[in-house]
Amino acid sequence: MKKILIIIFSFSCIQALAQENFINFQYSIGFGTGDLGDFIDSPSFRGFVFDYRRKVEDNIALGVEVGWNVFYDELNFDTYTVENLSITGKQWRYNNQVPLLFAADYFLATEEKVKPFAGLGIGTMYSRRNTNMNQYTIEEEAWNFALRPEVGVIYDISYSTGVSATAKYYIGFESGDLPTQSYLSLNLGILFLLY
Amino acid sequence: MKNKLCFFILALGAVIAGCYPEGVDYYEETDIALTHFQDDYDFLAKTTYAMPDRIVKITGNKIEGDDPEFVPDITATAILNMIAENMNSLGWQRVDIDDNPDLLLAPAAWETTTISWWYDYWGWWWGGYYPGWGCCWGGYYPPVHVTSYTTGTLVMTLIDPDIESTSGNPISQWTGAISGLMSGAYDADRVRRAIDQAFAQSPYLNTD
Repeated sequence: MKKILIIIFSFSCIQALAQENFINFQYSIGFGTGDLGDFIDSPSFRGFVFDYRRKVEDNIALGVEVGWNVFYDELNFDTYTVENLSITGKQWRYNNQVPLLFAADYFLATEEKVKPFAGLGIGTMYSRRNTNMNQYTIEEEAWNFALRPEVGVIYDISYSTGVSATAKYYIGFESGDLPTQSYLSLNLGILFLLY
Repeated sequence: MKNKLCFFILALGAVIAGCYPEGVDYYEETDIALTHFQDDYDFLAKTTYAMPDRIVKITGNKIEGDDPEFVPDITATAILNMIAENMNSLGWQRVDIDDNPDLLLAPAAWETTTISWWYDYWGWWWGGYYPGWGCCWGGYYPPVHVTSYTTGTLVMTLIDPDIESTSGNPISQWTGAISGLMSGAYDADRVRRAIDQAFAQSPYLNTD
């Protein structure tokens, strides 16, 4: 997973140098819902979102989004029984979510320093779930078809930089080894205008 | 501006990648007890079992004529006593193998050492710096990572000498396995906890 993150960040670096308009790096906190929330009820404090947008109209921007949240929990020693097999031990649970989306945002204001907006993303989300006990892991993966509604606000600090606060709700529909994976993310970001 | 942006992006990536949750903190956290039983076997109809005085180590190749190895006597005796105490508390009577026991309890142990090595492979043929790749790659040369760990496993098998499979092999009516990462020294408390747990989660073995 660390190698994937480094690849994503390196790729985003190259993208930043080659494109115009703005990019937004966001620290992300995730809250699992549905099946994901049942598997790990602790929030994820490890995550990021990278957004790139190009304005095609004064109040409409199109672009891409890449993100990552890892949900993690340690379960105390307990006994898990399936039919006539029982296993007791400590369990570590991981759920990695990596959305890769095309995105569109609609800005409710364009000239003010504070710019509220709403958006929708569509694309795919890579989900990987690991259940670890002892040295063993049960790994389940899926590439989900994903939708992501979003609301947020951007505050301009200067001509070329700003900060943002956003709420995104990711829905990765049932696929592969996993049922529908969904989570809410709250994000604080810093924007850079590209020349 | 571009260099600052690159630095910001890579620094952010390194921070986030570096805080990936790693899981295990202590050896004993890896201890597990696993049990499996044949649900059509009537344990209640049985009362006696036999168990050897030594614990064989699964190592070498017996088919090629290697002599079996055994767990050191002092350790084996302690483990066998723990097993016997649990069987006794469940109502079983230990007898000699010549006394026609209902079941045979066969313990075995093994150690597995896993050695992993890898290196973050970017840069292996251009020496860590490639001029055309500019700011984001300069000066980085990947280190080699090596890790190893040893896992100890004890398996306890209850076999009915009167039942065999169609291939002529004995059938395990109950299997209890305990396993954990080894710290280098025998830890009697960890072994006892795991053995006790294996029997505690097997209430169908209770003959009382």
